[in-house]
Amino acid sequence: MTHHRSWAEPWKIKVVEPIRMTTASERKEHIREAGYNTFLLRSADVYIDLLTDSGTNAMSDRQWAGMMMGDEAYAGSRNYYALEEAVREFYGFPHLIPTHQGRGAENILSKILITPGDHVPGNMYFTTTRVHQELAGATFHDVIIDEAHDPASEHPFKGNVDLDKLDALVREVGAEKVPYVSVAATVNLAGGQPVELSNLRRVADYCHARGIRVILDATRAVENAWFIQQREPAMRDHTVAEILRLLCECADGATMSGKKDSLVNIGGWLGLREERLAEAARGLVVVYEGLHTYGGLAGRDMEAMAIGIRESVEEDHIRSRIGQVHYLGKRLIDAGVPVVRPLGGHAVFLDAAAILSHLPRDQFPAQALAAALYLESGVRAMERGAVSAGRDPKTGENRYPALELVRLTIPRRVYTQAHMDVVTESVAEVFEQRGQMHGLRFTYEPELLRFFQARFELVRAPSETGGAGAGGIALAQLEGRQALG
Amino acid sequence: MKFSTIIEPFRIKTVEPIRQTTGAQRLAAIRAAHYNVFQLDAEDVLIDLLTDSGTGAMSVYQWAGMMKGDESYAGGRSFHAFVRSVKEITGFQHVIPTHQGRAAEHILSGAMLKPGSIVPNNTHFDTTRANVEHRGAVALNLPIAEGREPQTIHPFKGNMDVTALERVLRDNAGNVPLVMTTVTNNSEGGQPVSMENIRRTSALCRTHGVPFFIDACRFAENAWFIKTREPGYAGKSPLEIAQEMFALADGCTMSAKKDGMANIGGFLAMNDDTLALTCRNSLILTEGFPTYGGLAGYDLEAIAVGLHEALDPDYLHYRIRSVEYLAEKMIAAGIPIVRPAGGHALYLDARSWLPHIPPHQFPGWALSVALYVEGGIRACEIGSVMFGQQPDGSERAADLELVRLAFPRRVYTQSHMDYVAEVLLHVNTIVKDIRGVRIVEQPSVLRHFTAKFEPLPH
Repeated sequence: MTHHRSWAEPWKIKVVEPIRMTTASERKEHIREAGYNTFLLRSADVYIDLLTDSGTNAMSDRQWAGMMMGDEAYAGSRNYYALEEAVREFYGFPHLIPTHQGRGAENILSKILITPGDHVPGNMYFTTTRVHQELAGATFHDVIIDEAHDPASEHPFKGNVDLDKLDALVREVGAEKVPYVSVAATVNLAGGQPVELSNLRRVADYCHARGIRVILDATRAVENAWFIQQREPAMRDHTVAEILRLLCECADGATMSGKKDSLVNIGGWLGLREERLAEAARGLVVVYEGLHTYGGLAGRDMEAMAIGIRESVEEDHIRSRIGQVHYLGKRLIDAGVPVVRPLGGHAVFLDAAAILSHLPRDQFPAQALAAALYLESGVRAMERGAVSAGRDPKTGENRYPALELVRLTIPRRVYTQAHMDVVTESVAEVFEQRGQMHGLRFTYEPELLRFFQARFELVRAPSETGGAGAGGIALAQLEGRQALG
Repeated sequence: MKFSTIIEPFRIKTVEPIRQTTGAQRLAAIRAAHYNVFQLDAEDVLIDLLTDSGTGAMSVYQWAGMMKGDESYAGGRSFHAFVRSVKEITGFQHVIPTHQGRAAEHILSGAMLKPGSIVPNNTHFDTTRANVEHRGAVALNLPIAEGREPQTIHPFKGNMDVTALERVLRDNAGNVPLVMTTVTNNSEGGQPVSMENIRRTSALCRTHGVPFFIDACRFAENAWFIKTREPGYAGKSPLEIAQEMFALADGCTMSAKKDGMANIGGFLAMNDDTLALTCRNSLILTEGFPTYGGLAGYDLEAIAVGLHEALDPDYLHYRIRSVEYLAEKMIAAGIPIVRPAGGHALYLDARSWLPHIPPHQFPGWALSVALYVEGGIRACEIGSVMFGQQPDGSERAADLELVRLAFPRRVYTQSHMDYVAEVLLHVNTIVKDIRGVRIVEQPSVLRHFTAKFEPLPH
C-alpha cells in the first residue's frame, strides 16, 4: 500500500453547482424566519451546507452513466440484481431488501424483530434508530464504553461496546428479552467514532452464545473500516474492502443508508442472513416501501448505489474522504476551538457545552451555536445535543446526553479545501464572540424527532427584556461587531 | 384538422434495447417465477405492460431537471420548485413529498382513520385498500352499477354512486372520517369520473362535514376525458379542468409515478393546517424530512416538470388514443374487454373470455401467465388474486376478473402495439386450452406481488 502525505482527491470535477454568499442582514432575517433551527433554512440561503453528509454526495460520471441504465420495470429490474450482487460482494449479506432510505430499513427491521417489552442495547443511540425501536415497543440501552461520552478522551475506538455493560443488561432482563444488539459503525452521535473489529467480534461471540442477534448499522461502515486499517495493528495490511467484509461477518443483518458511504442521493437496504427473516421483511416492504425488487427506489437509484458501493471501498477514495474531514478538524484544533477528539469519519463535532459554557443545558447551547454560525458566515451545521436527544418517553423530561455538539458534516466529493478554509475562519470568528451568545427556548416542539421541525426564540437576560430590539444571540453579536466597526 | 393521424408529440432521444426470447426460455422463466409474472426478471420480458407506474420515459426537460437537483437535506430549491408546480395545479396549501403514492396513503390513513372507521371510495386500489385495512378501518367501494358491467358503455364508468354515498354518510354519521374518489378509477378499468360526479360527492361531504380527498394518480388523463366527454368542458384546458377538480376537494394523495411522468415519487397535499402538521411529523419517521420526503432532489425536479407535461393536450390526445387503438383491434376480433377503453390501460375481461375457469381458479391470473408464455408480454391480473383475500383470511370472488395491459407513458410505439394485438389474437385461438391455477404459498397482505402458484391439471 502506498502512503502519501497529501489527501488529494482521486478525481477531477466534471459538473458544478453555483452557490451564493448572502449578506449579514439577509441571514439575520433568514435565521429568525427559520425559528433558529438550521433545518428550516432554505438551501438557497446557505453558503456552505454542512448540515449532513446524508444524500448530499456528488455522484461520479460512472454513477450518472448508471442512472441512464435504469431499468424501471416494476418487477425484476436488472438494477436490483446489480445491487444484490454488490451488497453480496462487499457486505456479504445473502438476502437484500432495498428501501427508499435507511429509516425504511430500520422501520422494517424493528417491526420484524421486536416484541413489545423487549430491550435493545446499542453503542449509543441514533435519533431515527431509537425512535423505530421505541415505536415497536422496545427500550433502548446505551452500552457504549464510557470514553465515548468524554469529548476530550483520545481513545482510538470510542465506538466500542462495553461488554460488561452489555452483560449486566442481559443478566438483568434475560437474553430472551434482547432480540438483538444494535451496533453502529461508525457511531454518529459519539462524533463519528469507529468500532474496533476485535470488539465487534467479542460482541458477536457473546451474543451468539446466548441466541442474541447482532444487527450492524452499516451506514458508515466503510469509514469505520478505514479507521480499523489505520489504528488496529493486526488489520494494517488488509484492504478496506476486506475489513468491511470482516465487520459484516460479525453481524446477522444490517441496515444501510446508501446516502452516506455509498455515494448516492437516495437509497438504502436491509441485509439479512436468515431466509425466514428475509421473507418476513419482504412481506412488510411491499406495505411501506414498494415491491421487494425496487423497495421504493427508481431502478436507476439502485444502479447508482451498486456503482457507489464499489467506489466507496477504493483506498484512494476513503483516504481522501477522511483526509478532508481531518484537514478541517486539525485547522480548528490549531485555532483552539474545542472539538470532539479524536477526529471522526464524516464530520467535525464542535463541543458546544465547552464553547458556550455560560449557557445552561436547558437553553440548548448547541442549537444556539449552530444558529450563530449560520448568522456569521452562511455555514449551515446541525445540532447534535439535547434537542436531538428528545424527551424520555416515560418521564416526559428532556434527555441531556453527555455530549452537546454541533456537527460540521462534510458531504462526499462536494467541497474543496478552500471551502474548508472558509469554514475554519467562520468557526474561529464565532468562537471569538462566544461570550455574547444567548440561549434558546422552544416555541414549537414536535413530539417525535423534534430537532427536525422545532422552532425557537432567544432567551434574553433580564436586563435586555423590553429593550430596543429583538436581538439576542446572534443579533447582539452582530451589532456589537458593527459597532466596533 | 386536415390530417387525422395522431402522432406522438415528441421524438425519441434515448432508447433501451429489449430482448426476444424463445417459447422454451419463457416456459422455463415462468416456472422459475412460480407462475407469478411479478417474479419474472424484467430482462426476460419483451413488452412489459405490467404497470404504467414508474415505467414512463422522461423528457429531456425532466432529465435536465435531474441534473439541477438540489440534494440539500433541508430547504432545497428543488423542493420549492416541486411545491410551486403542485400548488399551481392543485391549489392545496400544504404539499408533502413522499417516496411514492403508497407512503402518502399510509400517512393519511394513520392520521385520519381509527379501527372501525368507514372509508367510502368509488373503488379503492390495492395499496389504498391495504392501507385502510391496516388501520382496522373498512374500505367501502361505491362505484355506480355500470362500473361493474364490463360490456356496458357509459362515458364515466368510474363515477361514485352518490345515492349510496349519501346513505352511508347518513347511517354512519361520525364514523366516516374521510371520503375518497380515485381518478381515473383504476380497479374498474381505468374509467373516468365526471366533474359533475366529483361536484356532487364534494357537496355531500361538505353537507356532512367529512373531508373529501382525491386519489389523483391519473388526474391528467381524467381531465382529458372530462374535456372530451362532459358537456361544457370542450373549451377548457386540461390544466383548468384539473384545477377545478382539485378545488372541489380538501386534499389529495398522488403517485407521481403515473401522471407525474416520473419513475419514482409521490405526494400528499391538503388545506387543513393541523392535519398537515400531523402528517409531517409522521412523514419524518418513515419517509424523510418534510422538504425531501424520501426523494432525491433530482426526483423533486423531475416531478415538478412532469406534472405539467402530463397536462399537455397533444400528449393526452396521443396517450388516450394509443389505448383506443389497441382496444379497437380487440373489439374487431371479438375479444372481450372493458368498454369503453380506459385511460392508461386496456382491460381484458377474463371472466367472459375464459368462462371455463371458475373464479377460485383465477382466470385472470391464468390469462396473464398465458400472455407471457405465448408472446413475452407481461400484464397484471386485477381480479380474485388481487382482491379475493379477505382480512379474516377467507376467499371471496372479486366483482371483476380483469387482466390489465397497462401502457407505460411514452415508451412503446405503434409497432409494439401491433405486436401485442397479434399475440392476443393468437391467444384467442388457444384460449380454451388455458388452465386455471392454484396458490401454493402466499403472504397475508398484498399477496399478488409474491404469492407462488402452480397450474391445475386438465
